[in-house]
Amino acid sequence: MSGMSFSSREPSTCSTSVPKTHHSVTTMDGSLNTCSAKPAPAGFRRVSSTGEPSSCPVPGLGPGVLEMRVKEGSKIRNLLGFAMSRLQGGGHVSPVSQVMFTGTGRAITKTITCAEIMKRHIRGLHQVSKLQYRTVREVWQSREDESIQMTVVKKVPAIYIFLSKEPLDPLELGYQSPAEMSSSSEENTSGAATESSRKRHCSPCSYETVQLSKIKRSTQEHTATAYNY
Amino acid sequence: MLAHCTDDRKTPECSTKSMDPVEYTLRKRLPRKLPKRRNDVYINMKTDFKAQLARCQKLLDGGAGHKEICIHGLGLAINRAINIALQLQAFSQGALQLAANTSTVELVDDLEPEDPDEAGEPLTRTRNNSAIHIKVFYPNA
Repeated sequence: MSGMSFSSREPSTCSTSVPKTHHSVTTMDGSLNTCSAKPAPAGFRRVSSTGEPSSCPVPGLGPGVLEMRVKEGSKIRNLLGFAMSRLQGGGHVSPVSQVMFTGTGRAITKTITCAEIMKRHIRGLHQVSKLQYRTVREVWQSREDESIQMTVVKKVPAIYIFLSKEPLDPLELGYQSPAEMSSSSEENTSGAATESSRKRHCSPCSYETVQLSKIKRSTQEHTATAYNY
Repeated sequence: MLAHCTDDRKTPECSTKSMDPVEYTLRKRLPRKLPKRRNDVYINMKTDFKAQLARCQKLLDGGAGHKEICIHGLGLAINRAINIALQLQAFSQGALQLAANTSTVELVDDLEPEDPDEAGEPLTRTRNNSAIHIKVFYPNA
């Protein structure tokens, strides 16, 4: 673990080359050094960004799996509209029974939100979530001089959320069964003793909501309630 | 010893939202306090990344190291939680394994009228947010 340096920002583990030489390629070494370089080199624009296609980490896939790649600017409404229609069977094409949401970097939160909303609309979906690093290769080109290029290879975290109507292996890491869960409940593949202590119900939460909206309260009371947490 | 990492973005802060005819002050309520075992780590965006990573590492290492820890992240802290988990796995040279679970958390916002004389009622608004729970453990040999 020698030679590790951290910045307080997210370690997207990128390394950029400083000299603007012609077609300079910067590659990552094995260690996960995080750099404090700014995300976009000044005066450059990104020409291409190719992700190394990492092998799908979920074993036991059926033949037809719908892969939904969630990007940072994707609209959840569009993503879910397409995925739902495919899952429930469009007019012209046979319905798919498995869908995989993938996202990297800033799109991870959106990916999780898509999967959660889909699970709420379609009950009985089995879920397997996987995390891994994914290498992305970007080519940046200078705005002024078109010939100056820079290739950046960086590792970004990626998430793969696999939703399936068919039952999956419960012993798989990251498996979640389609039981009725509302808020912050956790499924443990091992250590079942902790499971009962971690299951939480949503009813107290909604009870608080109803109670508070009825009564007119003062500001102090609100502050006191909030600070009780 | 670092303080407990609480869920982020939920401290009561006053920010005016001017969408209703009556001006309201938005107050985000903290999410429900969840029971916390010794090997539960809640990630937030306020504490330094390196400090949170070191804390997780310390929980796993050492003579009294736990066999597994659970990393939780809510909203924007999901990315950071995933990063911490992947970094821990990378440092262990493949000895650690990750298991990720996702969930939805309900958050409640309190809207208070700006003017006490205004006819507005204190409203509450609920919204949903995504959360991730990552189990980092040494698989039994």
